[in-house]
Amino acid sequence: MNTRRRFLTAGVLAGAVLTASACGGGDDDVAGGEGGDTTLRMIVNITPNLTEQFWNELFDKYEAENPGITVELELTGTIEAEAKLQQDLAAGDPPDIAQHVIPNPETAELFVDLSDEDWAPDTPLYDDYAIDGGHYVVGVGEQIQSLVFYNKAAFEEAGVDATQLQTIAQFEDAMRKLQAAGYQPLQSAGQWVTGAQFTMLADAGVLTEEPDWVIERKNGETSFADSGYLRYFELYESWLKEGFLTQSALGLEYPDGQAAFLAGDSAMYIMGSYFVPAADEAGLSDQIGVFPVPADGTYPPGQFGNMAQPYTVVEASDAKEEAIDLVEWLVTDDEAIEIQLAADGNLRKGFSYDVSSLGEGVQAVLDASPMVIVKQGERQPVHGYAEELNTQVQSLFTGSSAGDVAANLDSWWDSQR
Amino acid sequence: MGLAALKVSPARTDDPPAPAPGHPGTAAAVRRRRWRGGALSLGMLAPAVLVYTVMTIVPVVVALYLSLTDWNGFSDATFIGTENYLRLFEDPGISRAWLVTFVVAAFGSVGMLGLGLAYALQLKERSRTNSFFRALAYYPHVISALILGFLWSAILGTNGAINTTLERFGVGPVGFLFDETLAVITLVGVIVWAGFGFNVVLFVAALQTVPHELIEAAQIDGASRRQINRRIVIPMISPVVTVAMVLNLVGLIKVYDIVVSLTDGGPAGSTETIAYVILSRSFASTDVGFATAQAVALMVVSAVLSVLVAALRNRQDQAAAN
Repeated sequence: MNTRRRFLTAGVLAGAVLTASACGGGDDDVAGGEGGDTTLRMIVNITPNLTEQFWNELFDKYEAENPGITVELELTGTIEAEAKLQQDLAAGDPPDIAQHVIPNPETAELFVDLSDEDWAPDTPLYDDYAIDGGHYVVGVGEQIQSLVFYNKAAFEEAGVDATQLQTIAQFEDAMRKLQAAGYQPLQSAGQWVTGAQFTMLADAGVLTEEPDWVIERKNGETSFADSGYLRYFELYESWLKEGFLTQSALGLEYPDGQAAFLAGDSAMYIMGSYFVPAADEAGLSDQIGVFPVPADGTYPPGQFGNMAQPYTVVEASDAKEEAIDLVEWLVTDDEAIEIQLAADGNLRKGFSYDVSSLGEGVQAVLDASPMVIVKQGERQPVHGYAEELNTQVQSLFTGSSAGDVAANLDSWWDSQR
Repeated sequence: MGLAALKVSPARTDDPPAPAPGHPGTAAAVRRRRWRGGALSLGMLAPAVLVYTVMTIVPVVVALYLSLTDWNGFSDATFIGTENYLRLFEDPGISRAWLVTFVVAAFGSVGMLGLGLAYALQLKERSRTNSFFRALAYYPHVISALILGFLWSAILGTNGAINTTLERFGVGPVGFLFDETLAVITLVGVIVWAGFGFNVVLFVAALQTVPHELIEAAQIDGASRRQINRRIVIPMISPVVTVAMVLNLVGLIKVYDIVVSLTDGGPAGSTETIAYVILSRSFASTDVGFATAQAVALMVVSAVLSVLVAALRNRQDQAAAN
């Protein structure tokens, strides 16, 4: 009986240990762990420019300068960085830093308010991303996105002068000429690219004229169907009918669309400044030009833009001080900044790196732009908007009408909490 | 012999003597033995019950509760009643995702089942060639669905292997991944290709239990191969068919990974399944209460479908037996 009792007790203890170890988190990232070493876990977004190798090499430098600190990458896999962070938090295993996660009023409490850090106000777009006076995210630079990259040879062949493409009508006329010359006028792609390109084009036009449009939409004072956005949906609808855009582009992934443009299959590609490193890498920068997206109002229009490589320190981190130090290094150390700017073709006042002629062209567009349109802080659309817009813009490619798309977006927006 | 005489029958003196207290035969000892046995059984069961409770029952109960709240994944949850469940019927994207899920689950299950059965019937005999083809059929099942999706995306995309080849002949591109209807068909096709091998394994195992005597008797009676399969073989393996059908349905009703890697829900949301919406949209939007309501609905639908399929098969089997 004693044996049996011991056996039962051992079973219960084993169960308790299993349960406890399942519920408890590891303490790898506790500051001042064994030997004073600290492991900082960071969620990073992997892109064609910001590869795993890039991140590892960047953090090797930090680790060399800061003995005792190890930076561990946490990859997001098939989900967004924000979803990855949420999974980690729900699992009771929070990372220390999250890259590419933008706080909103609902999620701000998850992050450390960096307002008291004296280095933070000098970082780009610091105030544009403020939430109720708090500053939860800092970035390395700025990205501008309302850019049209073009194939110089195709323009020459079609007799199009890029400097003359300022209005929508001029842009459409150029697309006709390019089409007649045998080129696919505009390159698009599936995944997130379809909606993003629409945003790069339409936001520059609509939000340059009505900077408070998002605030008004949140207050129910305007709608997609009753604003300048409808005009852009109609443009897309007509461009699809004329073959300036093709439905088959939806079957391309982001890198494939980029590759098709670089291969000369298409004449123009609406994309953000982060396209420049890809063109540089392909050795084609000199054969590609860039100009701001066309607009019927102010020209050049404002550039839809955002903070490049944004970093947040997770409030639940056990090593907040060390995490803040690392973020400070990432956004204030000259060498770290230049490495990051160059990797993704981003910009920051006072910093320069070896850029190609295409990179210089992007800088010239930014210099001439009257404003950078940042949809953050109070101008941040409702959560999930980018994904829903992408779905709706893709539905234009598959046959929906501009009116239906605008109405669908309005009803979706209104249905969100 | 009267009753009174029976009561005083000397035969009573031959009855076994009443057991002494503490003897193994006393009622108290039996009770104690039963209690010990019960305690031992409980002790043996406890770890399994604990694991099942912690891993299954508690999460389900917590999910049910969360689905009735506006929890965003980190703040305090506020009870909002059935609001999340009402939203399931209001959001057109959710309705479309349910429809896509049912289409994928129905056609995918039937496809895997039909193809698996046909393949297994061809390969039921033991031979090296058949073993090779069985392994070939099962091979996609051992590869991650994510990898399969990326693989087929590279083959079927606009600039994929097939369309590039077709282009050389002046055809296409075919909208495997950019036409709304064709994208759903492509998704189902890839799912069937990836999953039918598992059905083959189940059916081959079941087919090998069908008595040869029955088949030989049918052959002697002049039954054709088709008649034998239809009248003898398939009815005899029907329990396995039911299991395969339920497994296929339950698996496909929550399909996510192959959607992400093959179509990413596109074009225009036409291949978004409910699991995709839960994981890629609702959870990502910190709308955890709503996501959980969708997950609970998915669980209920999955359970109802499984029970329905099993009940229908049972009824068919009983009808056949009668």
